[in-house]
Amino acid sequence: MITRRNLLAGSAAGIAASAAAFTLLPAALQAQGMPTVKEVLFDPEIPVLGNPKGDVTIAEFFDYQCPYCKKAHPDLMEVVKADGNIRLVMKDWPIFGAPSFHAATMALAAQKSGAYPTAVAALMATDGRLSLEEINTALRGAGLDPTALQAAHDKKPDWINGILRRNDAQAEAFRFGGTPSYIVGTRIYNGVMDKKALLSAIADARKG
Amino acid sequence: MIRDSHTKNTALRTIVRRLASLLLCLFVWTLPAGAAPLPVDEAFTLQVHEAPDGGLAFQWKIAPGYYLYREHIEAKTADGGAPLPLETGSGIAKDDPNFGTTEIYYASAEATLSAPGDAPIALTYQGCQEDGICYRPETRVIDPLTLAVTAQGGLVAPKLSLWTPAPTDTTADPATDRATETTGAAPAFELAEDPGLIPSLMARGGVILVLAAFPLFGLLLAFTPCVFPMYPIMAGALAREGERLTPRRGFVLSSLYVLGLASAFALLGAAAGWSGQNLQMVLQSPWMAGVLALLFAVLALSMFGLYELQLPARWTNALSRGTGQGAGSKRAAVVLGFSSALIVGPCVTAPLAGALLYIAQTADVTLGAAALFGLGIGKGIPLIVFSTLGGGVLPRAGAWMDTVKQVFGFGFLATAIWMAAPLLPAGLELFLWAALLIGFGTYAFVHWPVERSGGVVVRTASLLALLYGAVLTVGAAAGSNDPLKPLAVFAGGSAAGTSAPPLVFAPTGSTEAFQAQLASARGQDRPTMIYFTADWCVTCYTIERSVLPAPDVKQALSGFQLVKADVSDIDAANTELMAQLKVAGPPTMIFFDEGGKEIAGARLVGDINRQTLTAAADLAKER
Repeated sequence: MITRRNLLAGSAAGIAASAAAFTLLPAALQAQGMPTVKEVLFDPEIPVLGNPKGDVTIAEFFDYQCPYCKKAHPDLMEVVKADGNIRLVMKDWPIFGAPSFHAATMALAAQKSGAYPTAVAALMATDGRLSLEEINTALRGAGLDPTALQAAHDKKPDWINGILRRNDAQAEAFRFGGTPSYIVGTRIYNGVMDKKALLSAIADARKG
Repeated sequence: MIRDSHTKNTALRTIVRRLASLLLCLFVWTLPAGAAPLPVDEAFTLQVHEAPDGGLAFQWKIAPGYYLYREHIEAKTADGGAPLPLETGSGIAKDDPNFGTTEIYYASAEATLSAPGDAPIALTYQGCQEDGICYRPETRVIDPLTLAVTAQGGLVAPKLSLWTPAPTDTTADPATDRATETTGAAPAFELAEDPGLIPSLMARGGVILVLAAFPLFGLLLAFTPCVFPMYPIMAGALAREGERLTPRRGFVLSSLYVLGLASAFALLGAAAGWSGQNLQMVLQSPWMAGVLALLFAVLALSMFGLYELQLPARWTNALSRGTGQGAGSKRAAVVLGFSSALIVGPCVTAPLAGALLYIAQTADVTLGAAALFGLGIGKGIPLIVFSTLGGGVLPRAGAWMDTVKQVFGFGFLATAIWMAAPLLPAGLELFLWAALLIGFGTYAFVHWPVERSGGVVVRTASLLALLYGAVLTVGAAAGSNDPLKPLAVFAGGSAAGTSAPPLVFAPTGSTEAFQAQLASARGQDRPTMIYFTADWCVTCYTIERSVLPAPDVKQALSGFQLVKADVSDIDAANTELMAQLKVAGPPTMIFFDEGGKEIAGARLVGDINRQTLTAAADLAKER
């Protein structure tokens, strides 16, 4: 049943029954402000985990201090590894203040030396809240040099700041409430996804 | 109407078709319907009040399963200026491996700003959905003069998105998954950690502590009138021994009797553990209570010498045959003990209700059997002491033995009244007590000449009994039904108990219904008490008749949302509710705070009285 009321309610993103119809109309009207698939899933400055040539992309908007992002991370990595055909893009979206920015910056800076996956794994394995020092300790524990990473960033701050700004603008455009939020294929998922949810989202993405 | 919407549909479909072809060349982002985490303003509802001291108070109502961080609540002047000194109460320390230690608020949070000034204030806060999502910081601008709240940057109304939702496949939809969980595994209420009597005994001291505790409970129960029939039965058995009775023999026979009794209890415990079910439904049925009351009355009349009660001659003969008199009476003692449990067992189910419920919860046959065996032994210990000490004295049966029997007879009548009371019309109980007291007073007055030793004491007691019996009669006639305060109806303020309106319970019958009730109480910032009752629960009658209407109870429960789950007819929905709340059966009362979290230590199971109920309610309110 499509009514005016539903159309209005539809803006709040509900009502599956009329979903196909109610979203197309406003979508077309709002098309200009939205990021494209290329911008979101294929940002050239963000390294890809998993299989770079995979047929499905998972993008996770996350924060290194978000407890549920970290708790769910091993499951995500396992699914990506087991599937073997998934591009995983970790979209840094620091929402917990300065330490989160620092962690994101350090990890992204590590890609120059090819150590990005190591940095992500080390930071995702930390406990809850982090201080700047705890972040550096975790990185050192993984064989990385925080001072060198910081120096690399300071030389060209716009590079990583640009990534973070783009991620933030996209999260804003998607109206994500917080972290973790995911895009699997082109579907948007708010809140933590367990293994089962990931697997069925991947299956759906392959169905198109 | 139909026509109207049909027209709209057609028009829309045309638009949609045109747009769809246009959109085919664009990428389409899809969004599952009913996205799982609540919109931030529903997760954390902010209200601003003027504080009594002229400052501002910011209050958040936090949805269940969500929390705010204390350290992320901040205030600044909205023009991007200086931080403002915000006072926040201490939160709950959340400390787990995924978290580290940080202070958070569940259910509600408050921050105060003592000198807000006139300029708009930017209030920032941040929280998470448990195991779901951590919200980004939210900022609201508050006008200290009008108390109006606006979102910074006008971001409240969501933008419509190009990235469109697809028709949702429920299996692929984490939102739906989580929604199911909300009604299933992770309901919108939180139970206290306290797992109950037996599990907590187990946790503290293992099986040993459970097994040590139950004989102790038994010993306490040994002083309730329910257990009294064991004494004349035992005395009768010992008296039959005649010349051969010695303290040693008294000890042996009574021990065997108690073993028989305890074995019967062990069977009951095994049944409770095996079925995992609430045996009360049988043991506590009005039917059973009625039969038992009658049985006690019959026993009493026998004590008064109206007739002699004993096992049929054939049984005693069969038992006496075989290896001789001695072995026969030993075997008889075991059988007597076992069958006594039929009387004692159901009679103590009211005080025992809690223990039986806990055993049913553990669903452990051996533990159940062992625990109730211990209970039986505990109940029998005073009897063994009595038989051993009395072994040398008892046989010289004479007039005094009759007196003892008759006193027991009054005890049995009292037990009969106590058992039947919940089933009787409200005023009748008091009349029966009055009759019993007057009867006892008369008996004692007549049978105990004042010249005999202790005569004055007995006379005094009998006159007091007569007097109180008279008072009870007056009270009963005036409509009182509390045997301890029969004249309260005449007291000033004309029955404080009846003037306050009776407590009103909202019915509930399913997890969903109860969750909705908790949610509405949350809206009104009220704690909730849920009471499980049933028609077949005799203990519940007593609670409903004399506990709930008591003025102090009404007082203690005022301010609570009261919910009643009647499980007289067990169905899938209320079974589910009981499982979710870890309730084994009625009577059970559980207290929840405003946030739907059970108050630890306030849960009441089994024998609930005014003291325990008011104490639990007070505990719940202190929170």
